Amino acid sequence: MADPILKIRDLSTSFFTEEGKVNAVDSVTFDVEDGEIFGIVGESGSGKSVTALSVIDLIDSPGRVTGGEVWYRNADLAEEFRGSRPEAVDGDFVDVRRLPKGVRRSLRGPSFSMIFQDAMSSFNPSITVGEQIAEAVEVQRRARANPRRTRSRTQGYGLGSAILDTFLPNRDYVSNESMDRAVELLDQVGIPDPEDRAEEYPHQFSGGMLQRAMIAQALAGEPDILVADEPTTALDVTIQAQILNLLRDLQEQEGMSILMITHNLGVIARMCDRVGVMYAGEIVERGPLGDIFENPVHPYTQGLLGSVPDIDDPSDRLEPITGNVPSLLESEMPDACYFADRCPKAMTDCMTRIPEYDLDGRHSVRCVLAEREYDEADALEQEVMADD
Amino acid sequence: MSLSRFLVKRSLQGLFVIWGVITVVFGLRFISPGDPANVLLPPDVDPEVRAEVIAELGLNEPLYVQYWDFISGIPLGDLGFSLVTRTPVAARVLAKLPATLELAIAATIVAIVIAIPLGVISATRRHQPADYGATVFSLVGISTPNFWLGVMLIIVLAVQFDLFPTSQRPIGVDGIVLLFVSGSLGEAVDGLTTWLWHITLPAITLGTYFTALITRLTRSGMLDQLGQTYVRASRAKGLPETLVRYKHALRNTLIPVITVIGLQLGTLIGGAVITEAVFAWPGLGTLIINSINARDWPVLQGSLIVVAVGFVLVNILVDALYAYVNPQVAYD
Amino acid sequence: MISERTLRNLRRELRRSLLAKIGIAVVVFILLMAVFAPFISPYSPGKQNLDEARLPPLGFSTAETKEVTKMENGSVVIEGGEVVTEERTVYTNATAAHPLGTDGNGRDILSRVIYGARTSILVGIFGTSLAALIGVLVGLTAGYYRGRVDDVLMRSADIMLAFPSLVLAIALVGVWGQAQAPIPDPFVVTGLAPAFRSALGFTTGMPDTVVLPGTVIVVVALVNWVWFARVARGEALSIREEEYVKAARALGASDGWTVLRHVLPNAITPILVLATIQVAAIILLESALSFLGFSGADVSWGFDIALGRQYQSTAWWISTIPGLAIVITVVGLNLVGDWLRDALDPGIEGEGGV
Repeated sequence: MADPILKIRDLSTSFFTEEGKVNAVDSVTFDVEDGEIFGIVGESGSGKSVTALSVIDLIDSPGRVTGGEVWYRNADLAEEFRGSRPEAVDGDFVDVRRLPKGVRRSLRGPSFSMIFQDAMSSFNPSITVGEQIAEAVEVQRRARANPRRTRSRTQGYGLGSAILDTFLPNRDYVSNESMDRAVELLDQVGIPDPEDRAEEYPHQFSGGMLQRAMIAQALAGEPDILVADEPTTALDVTIQAQILNLLRDLQEQEGMSILMITHNLGVIARMCDRVGVMYAGEIVERGPLGDIFENPVHPYTQGLLGSVPDIDDPSDRLEPITGNVPSLLESEMPDACYFADRCPKAMTDCMTRIPEYDLDGRHSVRCVLAEREYDEADALEQEVMADD
Repeated sequence: MSLSRFLVKRSLQGLFVIWGVITVVFGLRFISPGDPANVLLPPDVDPEVRAEVIAELGLNEPLYVQYWDFISGIPLGDLGFSLVTRTPVAARVLAKLPATLELAIAATIVAIVIAIPLGVISATRRHQPADYGATVFSLVGISTPNFWLGVMLIIVLAVQFDLFPTSQRPIGVDGIVLLFVSGSLGEAVDGLTTWLWHITLPAITLGTYFTALITRLTRSGMLDQLGQTYVRASRAKGLPETLVRYKHALRNTLIPVITVIGLQLGTLIGGAVITEAVFAWPGLGTLIINSINARDWPVLQGSLIVVAVGFVLVNILVDALYAYVNPQVAYD
Repeated sequence: MISERTLRNLRRELRRSLLAKIGIAVVVFILLMAVFAPFISPYSPGKQNLDEARLPPLGFSTAETKEVTKMENGSVVIEGGEVVTEERTVYTNATAAHPLGTDGNGRDILSRVIYGARTSILVGIFGTSLAALIGVLVGLTAGYYRGRVDDVLMRSADIMLAFPSLVLAIALVGVWGQAQAPIPDPFVVTGLAPAFRSALGFTTGMPDTVVLPGTVIVVVALVNWVWFARVARGEALSIREEEYVKAARALGASDGWTVLRHVLPNAITPILVLATIQVAAIILLESALSFLGFSGADVSWGFDIALGRQYQSTAWWISTIPGLAIVITVVGLNLVGDWLRDALDPGIEGEGGV
């Protein structure tokens, strides 16, 4: 098998809030292979979106990526930094987190790109959709013309240009070529009359159309890795399917990899090659789609799968997981498996931090059940939760 | 609705408000306790003379005739005659207008030039010393009466350190332009420096409240915008941070700020009136105060009409600008 | 009305924000100062003493070159039948008897600041209440009935807004004159304050009336009601669409009852926030009117700033100190306003300063 395009190792992200430190992502490790769709699934609050943002380096204050490595396969970058930053290079891989800030930023667009859940709020309401897509094209055009400048602090776009653009709405940052490319992109994602639609504002688009436009915008830099954060959650069911098909087609056409973040197991089943299941900031189980769906080891994964009703089997009963996702506040996190207090198979062994067990080189799980059978004699006395 | 239709509708509304303003101003005379003849005449005047004066002023006409006389002259620029100097009110108001406009525009420029960068810096360096400084400045700025600020500036900068004059306006922009046009370049430059020297303290006095207000609005607007998903999306697609901040976030911040500035123009003119009083600046404010003290109602009425109509017109312009920069506006 | 949740938000925001605590402390302090002025004021605000004119505040002294009668051996020097004068530098030191100094007529500035708070607070509270009364009535009517009623009322509000508030206020006060109503000061009339003062050995002779600047109160209300009308209208427009309001109307409740029972209580939060900001704005407006000499008040912070102007080159504190009092009060009110807005988030705007 070829090298993965992305290797995430022990990535941790915390938010420093008034209440204390919140470890939203806790030592997450996974690979994204070339041309695959890797899915991260979990309940809301499990840290899956924060993982996505950490990978693409878009965590805002008060959050910060506190540790770990993001190895990205790029022979040119590896060559460039082999001498100056040997610690950031390993073979064809570079650790994005150890690259200079300007370089990291220049990777957004041509290497990494992202689409978001709510397309309406992901577009600037006062600029036409076409122009916003063309901006993304233009950045890459300028980057190719002058790579050094692109890595400077202002990326070749100083305060002067900024002020002029602020007060003169008709002053163009984007060139006509970029605008033409934006129209092509809109056409590619299946928007009818792309030339006219490019001149329209986000509020003139329907939700599904705007989601397509956002995908077009993310494709503008021809990224190696597209991070899709709940790309269909805000949409009607019929449109969801269209968008997923579109993503699948584009992924095949462009040969890019997709990191798909969702809470929806249906999306995972339909789209992904491999899956990571997140709980309380950790990936508790990961592996090929089939292994995870047919042979889940972690009780949380089992519970998650159990909470999806099987429409083919009327006798299948919904088994929701009781309890809530913990707060993730560092001071309140137990020195135990984070799932133990909700786990139907919790044992006394679970009262320490659990390492990740490799099952067969592809499937790994963070649970003692990987090594031993559930033994009722060892069952942990669960506190009776006053569930309100 | 198209922009032109919006403007037509907005102008019609404006016209209605202008009519209302004129009517209210006309009505002012009737809440006044004394009658205008008393301003002109000693109290023990011969009743016949008194009757003559009243007839001359048209005060014995029926109310609707007086109203019609009042309102019909206005489109032609006839605002009546001063009771005291017997000269046309329009001419007096026009003569004082440039001084007030200069002051208001200078203050607005000061405010915008300082406030927007300050608000942006404050928002982008949140919880850093610059932010705290800007926050305290804007809090105190919106809480300080500008006449007191003017007095303080005079005490410190004019009296103690003798850096600026305490008052007066020896030359106006109109005068400078005249000098310039007539070819006396040296004198025009001298005039300009004199003008700048004299307008500095009044402009700071009048501008501080607006600087503080716009700083506050810009800061909170920027914070709001920078937290929006589209900002994150812009970064995700690789846009330079400057472009994200200024072209995207700042522009969306300034769109509502424009409306607030428009609404606050009234406060600006009100502030100008009192600033003029502090600095003996010979503008509309001084004219209004003098006319009240002299009970010269026509001058007061004329000044009020000019101020209010100006406010309405500027607000129509601001609305048009708003509609132009904000494609989302549903035009009412 | 004010729900438990609202109170909880208020308390949480107060715990979190130092500025809110400062604001409340300032406002409470100024209020207490205004209410208990006859107990705590060192002198009567009007008590003149020309021998002690222009004393600087504690911590300052002034040097002034004065022409004084030349004295030798304790007697006036006379040459050629005229009294001889000489120039001498006269130092004036602050005294603890007048901690904030005295004004041009030798009146105690601290006493004037304390009594001045009464004028500001009276105008601020009564002016805002009257403005709120008019504005809420107009706004609720417009928002509840919509249509033509709304058009007429809100267009007249637009007409009011076309006048800069200070200009309109000056014009109205100028035209109307300056009616004031002296009302007896309950603490003085009942003998409470004089007894307290003589027991502690304070000076007596506090004024036995509080001057209520009637015209100014009416004028600031007439000038500022529009802001309340806009907020109340907005609230009424949205609340009238709520199911419970529709239900009440469907059950045949009268319009007046519906508005009072259902619409007003739910509009109260934003109106309260606006009122706080408006008290600050009206205090600024009153001080401006007093500064220009239009309010007729003779104990007012704005008026004292104007009085100090003739001494601006020799006695800076006469204008400075009352101005500081205004700034502190208005900062306090604005902080309270920010606190309420952050805790309740009604998202309103309202005209501010002068």
